[in-house]
Amino acid sequence: MTAAEATVAIPRRSTLTRLQDWWANPWGRPRFLVLATALYLVWSIIPILIAIRFSFNEGRSRSTSQGWSLRWYYGDPDLSVWHDPDLRSALFQSLRLAGIAVLVTVPLGVALAIGLTRWRGRGAGTSNFISMIPLVTPEIVMGTALLLVFIHLLRFIPLGTPAQAIGHITFSLVFVLVIVRGRLLAIGPEYEEAAQDLGASRLQAVRLALLPMLAPAIVASVIVVFAISMDDFVVSAFLSSGSSTDTVPVRIYSTGRTAPTPALNALATLTLGITIAIAAVLFVLWKLVQSRRGPAETGVEAFASGLE
Amino acid sequence: MSHPKERRFGRKEFLQRSAAGAVALSGMSTLLAACGGSQSSARETLTLARQDNPVKWPIFKDNQAIASGLEPEKATLQIFNWNGYLWPRSMKEFGKQYGVDVRMTTFDTSDEAISKLTSGGLSFDVFFPFPDRLGQLIVGKALQPLNHSYLPNLQKTIWPSLRSPFYDVGSQYTVPYTIYTTGIGYRKDMVQQTPAEYSNPYEIYWDGRNKGKTFLLDDGREAPIHMLLKNGVTDINTEKPDDIALFERELKSLIKPVHVKLSTNDYTNIPQGIASVHQAWSGSMVSAKWYLPQGTGTDVLGYWFPKDGHGTIGNDMMGVPRSAKSPVLAHHFINFMLDDKNGYDNFAQYNGYQPPFVTINPDRLISDGVIPKNLTSAVVRESDFKRAYFLLELSPTGQAAWQNAWASFKAGV
Amino acid sequence: MSDGSAARSSRSEERRRSTAGWSLLALPGVVWVCFFFLLPFYAVLCVAFGTVDPILQTPRPAWNPLDWNTSAFQFVSDNLFTWHGPFEIVFVRTFFYVLIATTLSLLIAYPVAYYVARHGGRWKGLLLLGLIAPFFISYLMRMLAWINLLQDDGWVNKVLLWIGLLSEPRTWLDGRASSVILGLVYGYVPYMILPLYAFLDRIDRNVLEAARDLGASPAQAFRLVTFPLSIPAVLAGCVIIALPMFGDYYTPDLLSGSPQTSMIGNEINLYIRGGQQIPIGAALVVVLMLFLGLLMGYYLVVTARAQRRLTA
Repeated sequence: MTAAEATVAIPRRSTLTRLQDWWANPWGRPRFLVLATALYLVWSIIPILIAIRFSFNEGRSRSTSQGWSLRWYYGDPDLSVWHDPDLRSALFQSLRLAGIAVLVTVPLGVALAIGLTRWRGRGAGTSNFISMIPLVTPEIVMGTALLLVFIHLLRFIPLGTPAQAIGHITFSLVFVLVIVRGRLLAIGPEYEEAAQDLGASRLQAVRLALLPMLAPAIVASVIVVFAISMDDFVVSAFLSSGSSTDTVPVRIYSTGRTAPTPALNALATLTLGITIAIAAVLFVLWKLVQSRRGPAETGVEAFASGLE
Repeated sequence: MSHPKERRFGRKEFLQRSAAGAVALSGMSTLLAACGGSQSSARETLTLARQDNPVKWPIFKDNQAIASGLEPEKATLQIFNWNGYLWPRSMKEFGKQYGVDVRMTTFDTSDEAISKLTSGGLSFDVFFPFPDRLGQLIVGKALQPLNHSYLPNLQKTIWPSLRSPFYDVGSQYTVPYTIYTTGIGYRKDMVQQTPAEYSNPYEIYWDGRNKGKTFLLDDGREAPIHMLLKNGVTDINTEKPDDIALFERELKSLIKPVHVKLSTNDYTNIPQGIASVHQAWSGSMVSAKWYLPQGTGTDVLGYWFPKDGHGTIGNDMMGVPRSAKSPVLAHHFINFMLDDKNGYDNFAQYNGYQPPFVTINPDRLISDGVIPKNLTSAVVRESDFKRAYFLLELSPTGQAAWQNAWASFKAGV
Repeated sequence: MSDGSAARSSRSEERRRSTAGWSLLALPGVVWVCFFFLLPFYAVLCVAFGTVDPILQTPRPAWNPLDWNTSAFQFVSDNLFTWHGPFEIVFVRTFFYVLIATTLSLLIAYPVAYYVARHGGRWKGLLLLGLIAPFFISYLMRMLAWINLLQDDGWVNKVLLWIGLLSEPRTWLDGRASSVILGLVYGYVPYMILPLYAFLDRIDRNVLEAARDLGASPAQAFRLVTFPLSIPAVLAGCVIIALPMFGDYYTPDLLSGSPQTSMIGNEINLYIRGGQQIPIGAALVVVLMLFLGLLMGYYLVVTARAQRRLTA
């Protein structure tokens, strides 16, 4: 051992004293906050990890570890997600609705946001105001309202996928509006005006100047719409036409109260995996776009500032 | 919430805007009334069927049975049924025989079933009605009359007394599916005292030792009826305000001592040990054995029904909704389920709810082990129908009064 | 005025006049909201003010306000404004659950959001990921996770027994308010953290440094600068989670299932999906919306006042 190494080794203290010093040190980050954040993260994530773990349980229990297997995903001939038609159709119904919601809501919402933000005429205020109401409306109110209107008035729209899709589009529209508008207000109208000054028509200005700058907000919208559509329970349940149009959350609710097998955990885990995979792909895609265009606010921030 | 620029609505402005909106909307309402569909024009009144007042329902001009001799449709058969009430293999078997898909939609409470069936938004081919809402479904034209030429098994397999029951004389709209009693299910290894050991067996619901593990059926008729029977009120289809107030009070008195819970999944809650005491249907007790954890024997299951037979009894039926898209296929399915073997398999292999078949000998069920010996009380005999109290339909105002009392209980105290 | 600037101003004038053209872009969305948001609300009103079919008991909405019949509202108000009426009980209970759950959420959300925004440092990205993770996990799955944990033989009991806090397993799912409120907090807190984070992250650091330069301690800087500045965000976070919570019925259903913990959403669900008396359910929805409208109005007034105080 050289002398230099020895001198480095000397100040090394016991873990305990270091911990005490760390806690008592008034100059670093606030300890209470570190602790609160750490506890929060553990509290918020651990239950999910445990639920995921039990989806791989060999046995039927959802509270006692009984080995590892894919029984509840595929292995079990009757009860696994793959083989139970109810669970499988719930997964597909959730994906179908989320897909429709993204395809319709994002274009609709982007157009709405551009229109409302850049339109300063009469009625703009009212429509701004009205478009914000859905954000704070409890889901049960929305579910009731849609159910009653589809049964008593818009009878040409049957319950099941069409009604559910319309419900999902309606409540996710506001999120797109909020996210995209946040971005639009940050950009300001100068860019389209410059484009128009350079001789572009308004549509060209939107297409060439505005949409590329909105790309991060659009990507964030896609992720958010997909996630909240997958998450929705009340509207899907109220507008379901029966077991074939039950979504994953509806299935979790109806069997969660009785005697669910780990297949329910497997179903939930699959949903989670798919959502995260799609979000990750979009995130990477957007990073690529962003690296070409220079720094912009992150999707999370766009979403968060939109909410706020 | 929003960008400061947009936060510029005063209260006054909001009121003005909403007032303007109201005016605009009221103008629209005439238009809306034109496109909203109308419901049944029901000028008919609802007759209440009772054992001493048999009812032969009218056949309406605009709601006739299908013609005889039609070919069954080659379409998906849509079944609307209670959760866990039909053997999936019976459905598969039928589908194979007729070369069609069979799909089932389930419901958890009878109210949910009626509201979905009458909402007009959905269509089903086979529905499983219950006597307590039957008149409503028939007079409201939600069910279509049956054509008996497709149902030869009715006269072969069903108890003679139910071939033309008092609630549907001539079986014009329904045929029997299952029979059951409503008693008290329990886990012998989890309760300190079985219901029979209480001077009034219904007292078991109030026993604080089963706190958090006491369940009533989540059914606005069944649960109140046990409250009435506990107090010796045997007219279980009562509409007297005093009786309704009585059961509401009794239900509420269960909340504090035992935190009573509500569920219709008696067939899983008891075997899984989620409940130690559970108001239960006899059929659920029979099928409970399929849901016991591994290594637990059927002897832990118990079912109490009054020995003298003075308890709640009922039967469920099969019918064809008027909205059925494949009514012929639906008739064939009903006949299929009335078949001796199919009906028995559905009962013994899965459902646990006994079909009222002449060929089913209750004593044999026990010796065959279909019903464990300790659940003998869950067997229903034809003679039980003479002594037990039949759960039947209420008038619309009676129904509303029961529902409001039920909602009041569900609001907690 | 030179020719050039005149031309420019006329062009911008023209642009201003033509902003109505933008409305075309907004049109589909506005029409959508009218059709599938406003119209349904009108349908709720018409059902609530309507009658029922005498036989089927299905609603017969009264589309014309002149035909409106108030019996459902009569029933609701009779049960809402009488001492110990069922709707009063359930409304008051819901209010307290939401109040407690929102307060707890705020107590959890603020420190976490503050820490990540201010002191996240190089971990910020990872911490943020932790904060948004719940958005990708369905609410019902997160409740399912707690059902697993709270079972008689679940991990909560196991851990508490092991630590010695409990001497025998407790039945957490037997209709306890604490379990339901825990579920609400767990379910909704992420929706509060994110807006708080976004706001705290944007507070101008120069303002804080100025406060420090003037001799304020970190605690004083927080108390005198950061916290007052963040009040609008705190209120926004409370509104974002409290209003939806008022309509919750699945959390008490899943984590309790006992009338002991019913919320107003449970009663609405019972009447709306229970057939027979749907107008009463619709009337309850209208009453709930009015109540939430009042809360929302109060929020707008308070934030407007806070805004004025800050700018003054």
